[in-house]
Amino acid sequence: MNMELSRRTLLKGAGVGLAGTALGAFGFGGIEAAYADAIRAFKLVGTTETRNTCPYCSVACGVIMYSKGDLTKGEKAEITHIEGDVDHPTNRGTLCPKGAALLDFVKSETRLTKPRIRKPGADKFEDISWNDALDRIARLMKDDRDANFEAQNQDGVTVNRWKTTGFLAASASTNETAFLTYKVVRSTGILAFDNQARV
Amino acid sequence: MAKTDAPQRDMTSIGEVVSPAFVRLPEPLQLFCTRAARFRYLAEGHDLKPYLLFLAGIAEAQHVVQGGLPAPTLPKADALKRAREFSMPALDRARFEPDQVLDQTLERLLDQVIGIDMPEAAAEALARLRSTDGVARAEMVRSVLAYAIPMETLADHLYVAAALQVQFARLAAQLDAKSLVPVGDGACPVCGGLPATSMVVGWQGAHGARYCGCALCGTLWNYVRIKCALCGSTAGIAYEELEGGAGTIKAETCKSCHGYVKILHQHQDPAVDPIADDVASLGLDLLVRETGFTRGGANPFLVGY
Repeated sequence: MNMELSRRTLLKGAGVGLAGTALGAFGFGGIEAAYADAIRAFKLVGTTETRNTCPYCSVACGVIMYSKGDLTKGEKAEITHIEGDVDHPTNRGTLCPKGAALLDFVKSETRLTKPRIRKPGADKFEDISWNDALDRIARLMKDDRDANFEAQNQDGVTVNRWKTTGFLAASASTNETAFLTYKVVRSTGILAFDNQARV
Repeated sequence: MAKTDAPQRDMTSIGEVVSPAFVRLPEPLQLFCTRAARFRYLAEGHDLKPYLLFLAGIAEAQHVVQGGLPAPTLPKADALKRAREFSMPALDRARFEPDQVLDQTLERLLDQVIGIDMPEAAAEALARLRSTDGVARAEMVRSVLAYAIPMETLADHLYVAAALQVQFARLAAQLDAKSLVPVGDGACPVCGGLPATSMVVGWQGAHGARYCGCALCGTLWNYVRIKCALCGSTAGIAYEELEGGAGTIKAETCKSCHGYVKILHQHQDPAVDPIADDVASLGLDLLVRETGFTRGGANPFLVGY
């Protein structure tokens, strides 16, 4: 292969143009050149296909997301289609009705795109920054744990449990994320913990 | 091949789970006549019509020569076993020796091709090839199999390549598909060759799976999607197509090896052929190479791109 290419470059450099191709060798060089001229009027359109994991449930099906526009060229990419990933061992190309509707989920107007808070007693959500949200969560967790952590049960057996807070993680996280989540959450004593939403 | 597509009576196959076979071996008696028809179809209204019709003639010749031709001999069972054991292609192209069947195939092919309407250069190459002896032809066979075709006698070699496609497809057809193993990225499990193109298929039982199509023996082998069919990289894969196209032919470009192989969407257009549609979509190659990617598909009828 490389040999062909290097020779072709040499021929091009010598001003022979398209002579070193199969079409030229068979004597179709004329239509080849005309075709090459005609095709210049056309443009290329870039699309990408990206693997991901369906965010809905613990089955964690593989999906392929098709998008138009190349982010690396500074264009805006937009998802046009989502389908099951045939190469994925879990779902082998299939999706459940919820997964099959993922495109609407991505483009939904009511999709949550930033942290929001509904304070105790309030009747609506309001925006909050990530920093404030995380600080508030940490503060509330600490206060709750200080108040309700049980080192021992009524019989004096060491239990080190914290029953008044629960924790739910996401389905699309990696094994490593799941491992770390488990370690962090369990080490606080939280019992009501699921690394994965159940269906 | 027909077995996979044939309708099955079992009603429970509705909602089937895809389990694509690793390879689909060629059916030489169907392969080339289907390809010839595809070339003729694509030629209508195409700027490269004379070339596509010429290649339709070659594909027809590749089909016709098989009538009454003795079957080529497969390597011995222990050689096939050893190849499988070490994840090597079943047919060793580096050690391939032209046999009588190949001689006959080439001789018959040249007799057939002479009837095709062709430019002077193609006719001259044909005449030159007809006058060569066995030794020179064996050398040409080695050059074609090694992807080292001398530019001066390119056309002569391409007739030899056409005969080799017949020979290797007939060899591949005799293998047991279940005995084949993956041999590496961008390499045919049967002959070790580079793919011409790859395609996402709509076959029953393999819907949405991608297969690479060998440029030499016509074997289709299953290959993970969104992965470079040349170097195996999964990072920086993007698809380019002509603006306003039907979306059935795209170039799968790889930022790791700066190569690309076309990907055909057979599930959208069931008639696509890994070789014929590759030639007819030469425009895509012309535009993609302007963006700095090198063609990786090994289709002999597009050598030089």
